[in-house]
Parts: sequence; C-alpha cells; structure tokens
Amino acid sequence: MKSKSEERRYVPEISQKEVEELRSTIKAASQKIIAENIERMKKTAENRPEEMKYFDDIANFFGTREKEIRAAKEKGRKVIGYMCLFAPTELILAADAIPIRVNSGWYDTAKLGDRVVPVEVCPVIRSTIGAKMIGLSPYLELSDALISVLTCDGMTKLGEILSDYKPVWAMTIPRVKDSAQSLRLWNDEIKAMKSQIEALTGNKIDRKKLKSAIELTQKATKAFRRLQELRKGAPVIMGRDAMLVNQTYMWDDIKRWTEKTEALCEELEKRAQNKMWACPPDTPRVMVTGTPMIWPDNWKLPTLVEEGTPQGVLVADELCSSERLLYDPVGVDEWNMSDMFNAIAERYLMASTCPCFTSKDGNEDRINWLLTKIKDWNIQGVIYYVHRGCMLYAMEYTRVKKVLDDIHVPVYYLDTEYTREDVGQMKTRVEAFLEMLTARIDI
Amino acid sequence: MITVGIDLGTQTVKAVVLKDGAVVSRGKAFSGFDPAKSAQQAVDEALKEAKFSLSDVNHVTATGSGMEMAPNANSTISMMGADAQAGVFLFPKARTIIDVGAEEARAVKCDDNGIMMDFVVNERCAAGAGAFIEAMARALEVKLEDMGPLSLKAERASPINASCVIFGESDVVTLIHRQESKPEIARAIFDAMADRISSMVHRLGVNPDVVLVGGVAKDVGFVASLKRKLSIDVLIPEYPEYAGALGAALVAVRRAKKV
Repeated sequence: MKSKSEERRYVPEISQKEVEELRSTIKAASQKIIAENIERMKKTAENRPEEMKYFDDIANFFGTREKEIRAAKEKGRKVIGYMCLFAPTELILAADAIPIRVNSGWYDTAKLGDRVVPVEVCPVIRSTIGAKMIGLSPYLELSDALISVLTCDGMTKLGEILSDYKPVWAMTIPRVKDSAQSLRLWNDEIKAMKSQIEALTGNKIDRKKLKSAIELTQKATKAFRRLQELRKGAPVIMGRDAMLVNQTYMWDDIKRWTEKTEALCEELEKRAQNKMWACPPDTPRVMVTGTPMIWPDNWKLPTLVEEGTPQGVLVADELCSSERLLYDPVGVDEWNMSDMFNAIAERYLMASTCPCFTSKDGNEDRINWLLTKIKDWNIQGVIYYVHRGCMLYAMEYTRVKKVLDDIHVPVYYLDTEYTREDVGQMKTRVEAFLEMLTARIDI
Repeated sequence: MITVGIDLGTQTVKAVVLKDGAVVSRGKAFSGFDPAKSAQQAVDEALKEAKFSLSDVNHVTATGSGMEMAPNANSTISMMGADAQAGVFLFPKARTIIDVGAEEARAVKCDDNGIMMDFVVNERCAAGAGAFIEAMARALEVKLEDMGPLSLKAERASPINASCVIFGESDVVTLIHRQESKPEIARAIFDAMADRISSMVHRLGVNPDVVLVGGVAKDVGFVASLKRKLSIDVLIPEYPEYAGALGAALVAVRRAKKV
C-alpha cells in the first residue's frame, strides 16, 4: 500500500511502460515538427535574417537550452516554472534562480489530459497536464517549484492537478485591476512569493539583487520593443520569425536573449535601410488577438496566414505568448524595496489586457491596445483566435467586433482546438479572409 | 472571351462556361474518389455543350473545398468570394448570399460590386448542411427528393436539436417513437436546419436582398423553413447549385482581362 503522501490525488496511475512509450513517440514527433516548422519558416522568408539561427537553436526544446539548465541545476541553481505570465520573474532572477514558462503547446499531449479533465476544458490546460503525465517537457521536469497564478478557471485547477508532482505556489490575482484594495492584495501576494522563493533557493533577495534583476528585464523589454517597432514599417521580418523570437524569452537566458535580440534588430535596421523586405510590401498586414499560440505545435494559424494564397504577414499581435510577454517595463521611481515591489506589482497587474480582468470601464485596456496597434502598425485585418474552452476570450469577441466594425477594420473569429485535423477547414477560412483584404486590388 | 469556373464541392463538381461574361453551358459530376478526374468530366461536358475546346478558353478559375486539385486552373478564388460574385451577378441588389451545400453552410456580406465584405461559416458539424437532410431521410425511410414536399404537408412543428447530426438523428428517433407523422418530422428537420442557418446569418447581419444558393436551395422544404425563420423573402436563382462555379467563371473574366 502506498502512503498517503505518495498517492496522487488527481492524475490516474499510468504504467511506466506506457509512459516511456508515449514519451518517446511524442518526443520524436515533436522534434520532427520543430525542425519542419523552422524549415517552412525559412522557405517563406526570402533571405531570412542571419541572426534567426540563434533563435532556431533555442527553439529546440530538447537541445542546447535543456543541457544548459541541467548543468546549472547540477551546480545548485534552482528552476522555477510558471504558467501565466504574471509570475514575478524579477524575484526569481534576484534569487539567482531560473524562471521558465511551462505552458504546453503540444497537440498530442492534450489527448492524455483528457484522461484527467473533460474535453471541454481549454486545450492549453489539457496539454500541460498531458505533458506532465509523460514527462515530455524538459522545462516542466526540471522545475523545482511552479508558480500558479489564479487567472482563469483552467489555470486555477491546473495548479492543483500539477501539485500531484511538484510543489505548486498559488498566487491570487485580483480581477478588478483599478482599485486600491486590489493592488494591496497583489502587492502582498508578491511579497509572500519573495519569502517562498528565498526559502527554496536559500538566497536572500536584497535591494541590490532586486535592482539588478529589474534592470535586466528592463533591458530585455527595451530590446523587445525595438523589435516590435521595426515591424511598423514595410515587413522586414516575417511574423512567425518575430513570434518565435518573442516566445523564446519564455525559456531562454534573459541576458543572452536580450543581446541576441538587439543583434537581430541591428541586422533588421540595416535591411530596412536597403529596402530588403521579407515579403512584398503590399502583402496584407494582419494582427492576431486571443488565446496563446505556443510553440511548437500550436503554430498552425501563423503558418496558414504566412503560407496562404494570397499571402498575409503578421505584423502585430495581442497574445500572452508573444507581444504581451514583455511589452510593458517595470517602472521604478526610487530604487528602494517598497517602490520596487510596487513597480513589479503594477507592471504585472495593471498592464495586462487578459480578459480575466475587468475594471471600472470593463477591459478597455485591451481595446486600446488593439486600436493603437491597428493605427500605428497599419493593420488591415484582425484574426480573433480562440481555443475552444476559453470562455473569457470567446465572450469578449462581441465588444472587440463592435469597436473594429466602427473603424471598418475586418475581423474574423476563428475557433479551434489542439488538433491538426482542422487545418484544411481553417485554411479555407483564413484564405477567404486574406482574399477579402486583397479583394479590391485583386478582382 | 471564353472563361470557365469550376467548383470542386464535397459531393459534386460543377463547371460553368461563359462567353463574354454570359453563361453558355454547365456541367456536373460526382466528386467521388478522384475529384480532379470528376472536374475534368464536368468541364468537358460543359465545353462540349458549348462547342468549345479547352484551347479556346482564356482563363480557368477554380473554387470549392478541392480547388487546389482542379485541372488546368489558372487561378483560384475562395468559395465565399465566388458566392458574392455570383449573387450580385444574378441579382444586382443582393447584399447577403447564403450558400447551403452538402457539408457546409456559409453566408457572405458583399458590396454592390459583388466584393465580399464579411463572411461566416457553419461550425464543424454538418448539421446545418445538406448531409443532415440525407441522414434524416434515411432515418425516415423517405427519398431525399421527397423530404421537402412531405414537410410542406405538416400541420404543426416539433422542435429537434440540430447542433449535431448524430444528436439530431436520436431526436428524430424519439419523434418516431412518439409516433409523430412523417410530414411533421420532416418539417422539424428543416426548421432545425433553418434555425442554425438563420442564427449564423444574423451574426453577419441580414442585409436585403438575400439570395440563397447551393444545392440545398432546390429543396422546397428547407426554403419554406428558412423564409419563416428569417421573416424575409429569399431570392433563389434558376441553377442555385452552380453559383460557386458561376462566381469563379466571373472572376476568371476579370483576371483574363488583367493579363
């Protein structure tokens, strides 16, 4: 008989043999998909930037970065995984631990998650559960603890389920963004998280360490924004390439990521001067908004847009797996502990456009983000992308549609699953939408 | 100028031949296992009737779910784009085109030049499309073409679920067990389909004139239900199933001129 502490409370037992088999099959398929995606991205982008090579390498879940983290762990560094992007990475960095986002983009593991939760649940949740069941994600496996920020219902329960395997630290995030008591609660949560991180790592987070951690992410934000700025003009980088750069931030070494992103921007600026475009400058400019698109499998929509007939180019997005990751810097007034904590709290809560939140005027922060992007990035059409099971994004569609109708920007609602089978249907719709954007020129 | 439009649908392939922008002939074949071959048959049939050969043709445009398999196509257009073109060609005041085919239903909003402005497509399940009527006709042991006339004899309507073909079928079985009459069950089936399609069209906005095309537009039972649900008159062309091919052939005219 198993002792109570060993017994899993949520996930049914699977035989070690089945786990091994599933892991090796899905891992092999995943390695193939990673390589294929990169090949296709190379094919789409004529003269793909040289600096993309680095990000292609980091995009391999079973490669350089895994080895690096493993080596760091052997030397005693701790790894702290997180699901939603509200986990205060600055505190993790200040304690000399490695922050890594562990949400899963694997389609095949979503089916395994179905053994634990119903199919109606958001596929990101089901897939992350499935990935843990077979130990597929090196980053999830290497995590010493997980920070689970209670944003949506799925995330709240995901944390509980993963506690079958790892210490999970829940953080309550208030749903009303703009009230004093909300910010107080969130501030307290962040302070409590500091103690948890210190206890795990054995490293004290002092003023100096926190300051340099904040400066590190501020520099990353600067590089990040520089890249997005470059996408305002004629397309100097394909959307998928930019999205991959953005996304690798979730698991890369932040200092090196910042340097490599700056180097990429350097290269892109030169290309812009020489009018060396990634695709014809009159290619329809598309923005996606909605549920996250996580590498490597959940790359189907950007692929359909940029490989479509007619072709489109993604020049902006409002996704927590891409542009929302790092767009907002931590703004510190005075470098004392209290101000730094306030700045971190505000950066994560106030800047978020996730439909989990509301405020005095609803989620107008999201609307404003979309309107700014449409205007400044010259967006011609918006694809509203929703995973079946994400009630929040689905429910905000009517508001977004109304606002975009008012400014005559076409928007198309596309809902999908973690599956490859619907690509044919999606292609018909995405191409009809792109055709609509080009119609006046084409017909 | 001779142009050809081919619509490679899920069940049938349709071809339309235009001479200087006017329809001269049509051809049709079952899609089957080799849609490219079927498309060739449909085109050959239409060209033969028009007494043209392939070498006389200036431009071929393909549409439909299998458009990439179309033989000799010079270009393609989405099904929604083709619907919009055909709708406004057939009825110049058309602003909303509803196309109900074998496995998909869609609605397109367009401007006065037949250029698509917005569109919606039925979700995943074929319960709002022709395949649903086929499945239900089997359950009722009625010929497909008799379903429509039968439904018109119904004295009242019984509600069923049409969110899914399978659930729809089990609802129909419930009605059979309740010993409802065949006309009433047939009517219930068309009402459920029309319900789904009308809520889809409402999401887009119902802008008159509304045109109904696609193979299912030939079914009097469905048309009656749809008109009731939309509470608006619906215009139906003489050959509704050829609308996609016609739209493609019209696009071919413009593209041929551009080259």
